[in-house]
Amino acid sequence: MTMVELAAFAPVRKSVTVKTNVERAFRVFTAGFDTWWPRTHHIGKSPMTKAIIEPVAGGRCYSAQQDGTDCQWGTVMAWEPPHRLVIAWQITPEWGFEPDLAKASEVEIRFTPEPDGATRVDLEHRHFERMGQGGASMRTSVDGGMGWGDLLRLFAGEAAK
Amino acid sequence: MEANQVEAFRSLSDPTRLAVFERLVAGPVSVADLARELPVSRPAVSQHLKVLKRAGLVFDRAQGTRRLYQLNPAGIDELRRYFDRFWDSALASFKRTAEGNQEGT
Repeated sequence: MTMVELAAFAPVRKSVTVKTNVERAFRVFTAGFDTWWPRTHHIGKSPMTKAIIEPVAGGRCYSAQQDGTDCQWGTVMAWEPPHRLVIAWQITPEWGFEPDLAKASEVEIRFTPEPDGATRVDLEHRHFERMGQGGASMRTSVDGGMGWGDLLRLFAGEAAK
Repeated sequence: MEANQVEAFRSLSDPTRLAVFERLVAGPVSVADLARELPVSRPAVSQHLKVLKRAGLVFDRAQGTRRLYQLNPAGIDELRRYFDRFWDSALASFKRTAEGNQEGT
């Protein structure tokens, strides 16, 4: 693999150690998704009221909006508590929902116990090359969505808290 | 930078253009060679390269009398850096919450 191939579509890999047991870490991540997911990250037209991951394979990942609508942004591909979760990331570059799973990137999260009772959380976001395929995804885009630059600035603010 | 990221993704949404882009992953190539290797005419290849160049994903340089096109690592890197920062922030928020008040859990 060339250096550019590595750079082009290589997965993003993140790892964080959390000072809690693996069951709680998984629970906070999933059942408690709404307690930590940044409020600004959703693809709805009105503000988000709740962020939900449905706790089952095939479950929807979505946000409930103030205007009463639900905005799906992903699908649970693997549900293996408390150690593994895989989610299809179905947001198009135009900030709309991509119903075709073949055009979605994928996020895998693994929860591994550490000897001191902590949990190592490993995240891999992969298959970015799928996101550029086909023109159909552009037509499903939601108008008036947040731009990626805006999202970046908001997340920078969130991380600084 | 924001506009470039959207444009970079948008530029890859055409299957033929994506094929051109993927061929460039293998190394620098001229328009003539691209048209020979792919089932695409030379004018179409030129047009696709123009779009990819405008999106910051490829650049060209002269080699003798011909022009070679190659990937722009900086343009591609921008796409990944977006997700890199995104997940840094999201996981930092998750860690804070998961380590929060753990009494009675």
